[in-house]
Amino acid sequence: MSVKVHIHRTFRHITNNLAIVEVKGETVGECLKDLIRQFPGLKIKLFKRNDKLHNHIEIYINNESAFPYELSKQVKDGDEITPILMISGG
Amino acid sequence: MLTQDELIRYDRQIMLSEIGEEGQEKLKKAQVFIAGAGGIGSSVALYLAAAGVGIIRIIDCDIVELSNLNRQTLHWHSDIGKAKTASAKKKLSKLNPDIKIEGINKEITETNVSGLVSDSDLIIDALDNLPTRFLLNKTAVEKNIPFFHGAIYGFEGRVMTVIPGKTACLRCIYHGVMPGEKFPVIGVAPAFVGVIQATEVIKYITGIGEMLTNKLLVYDGLNMKFTLFKLRKNPECEHCGQKRRED
Repeated sequence: MSVKVHIHRTFRHITNNLAIVEVKGETVGECLKDLIRQFPGLKIKLFKRNDKLHNHIEIYINNESAFPYELSKQVKDGDEITPILMISGG
Repeated sequence: MLTQDELIRYDRQIMLSEIGEEGQEKLKKAQVFIAGAGGIGSSVALYLAAAGVGIIRIIDCDIVELSNLNRQTLHWHSDIGKAKTASAKKKLSKLNPDIKIEGINKEITETNVSGLVSDSDLIIDALDNLPTRFLLNKTAVEKNIPFFHGAIYGFEGRVMTVIPGKTACLRCIYHGVMPGEKFPVIGVAPAFVGVIQATEVIKYITGIGEMLTNKLLVYDGLNMKFTLFKLRKNPECEHCGQKRRED
């Protein structure tokens, strides 16, 4: 089973400039765990020390908000996960 | 009633069946609040002034600096050292002397926000930080004033429209606060975001088209890619949730 994770531009220096990374898992949490296995530097970008997502990271599955309980949401083959990083410039 | 000059000035948009003279009169009667006279604020203010929005109140507490000029197109080299609101008022009044421009050189705070927005038909978020955005979003929800969000980073822009009580608000989608930092930006990104916000505002005032509600538009200028993310109202939202309204 393959799920795509879209990587925000500000994190691509960690993913060798990859904009999309293919991962495996049945939940968002498992998919992000596999993403971090491939690119360990993403762990501190996405998660706090207690393994909860940073408050400024929002998760979308197939462009729909996965809030709340994002990490336990089920995903299926072909789904796309987009972690969105809050931006605030004007 | 539109004047002869106004009929000529707005002729090309009055020609649009969706706007017509009736829509133009609605624009003339409208009062908008623009929070921020920076990159996004410059763009949204210019197009709303050009469209004939009757009263534009624009607020900012900064002065024009050389480093602003790559993106804040209401401010020119000769404005360096002047208040952004004074510079904005001068340009917007020159563009359209038939409308009223109010420049307020103040910081938006918890104590003054309610009074600042109270007589506005809508609020445009053209700010550069999240805490003040959240303050304005909360105030908009409490006072039932539509809120037009825009933000940028680099080549990226984001826009959403909030109709209080009906659609997801800014706090429904952003659950935390990013630490403030100096952000990189190419001037076309805030210009683009401001134009999208101005489009939303014109549609809202004239009651036409489909609004960017319960949706977050993410614009990736580098790849010229537009993505619409579907949002939902959060029933437990700190600002607009049912729980809060029952408190």
